[in-house]
Amino acid sequence: MAVKTKKILVPLDGSKNSLRGLDMAIHLARQSQGTITALAVKSVPGIYAIHPLGFLDFSSMTEVKKLLADAKLRAAKKGIMLTGKAIAGDPGYDIARFANNSKNRIDLVVIGARGRSAAKEIFLGSVSNYVLHKSKKPVLVVK
Amino acid sequence: MTANNFKKVLVPLDGSTYSEKALKRACEFVDAFNSEIILIYVIEKSIPINLLDRKEYLEILRKFGTKVLDKSKTDLSKKGMSAKIFLKEGNIVNEIEKLAKKEKCDLIVVGNKGLGSVARFLLGSVSNKISQSSSCSVLIVK
Repeated sequence: MAVKTKKILVPLDGSKNSLRGLDMAIHLARQSQGTITALAVKSVPGIYAIHPLGFLDFSSMTEVKKLLADAKLRAAKKGIMLTGKAIAGDPGYDIARFANNSKNRIDLVVIGARGRSAAKEIFLGSVSNYVLHKSKKPVLVVK
Repeated sequence: MTANNFKKVLVPLDGSTYSEKALKRACEFVDAFNSEIILIYVIEKSIPINLLDRKEYLEILRKFGTKVLDKSKTDLSKKGMSAKIFLKEGNIVNEIEKLAKKEKCDLIVVGNKGLGSVARFLLGSVSNKISQSSSCSVLIVK
């Protein structure tokens, strides 16, 4: 009966809120001896995704990689294994797709309440809201 | 890191299977973090009900609410956990939030769907509102 949270997905975007989400995930992972999968999505407007050269935006891909390296360090300090993954695409859609993909075996999604997307909602971030609605896995919204 | 240990977990119940799932999930948190569990059932008062039947209707809801709460409490005590129970009347979301603030809860665990009839296929309206406006973290159980 007991559903153990072995694999936790943490979407990162470099904002303070997503770091809080990461801290919470680390905390949870320590309790259940789970592992964390960090997902950093580089936002690419749809039109670039069609164009093959759209992905060759090296400068911002390094930013995403740096983000993941930081997260890895943070988790390693607490003794938690963290695997990073960088994707280019639409943040909300790709996070939800990653979480729902049964190959990834995600048990829990931990997400910060607000990120840094341009259209900030007053209460809940647009990406968090999207993931909340579309994910088939439990979602923990960290405030 | 903030020392957030989920000391108090609030679980709103409505008697649906989803809320039972949420309760099960909350039990794990209690196991892992030694936290305190608080159950709440809110009697919806804001929906317009026929004036003549109103009293009777509320009476039925009250009975149902206490039944749900008692059942969950006995379920929990079988597992060796104690729970505080609350029966409130009013707007569902408002009451849940008021209680979360009053009891200084660290986490609200809700099922993703309830007994509401409107948004049945996506996220329930109540869970949506809670996740939008609550001041503490929210776990949505699917």
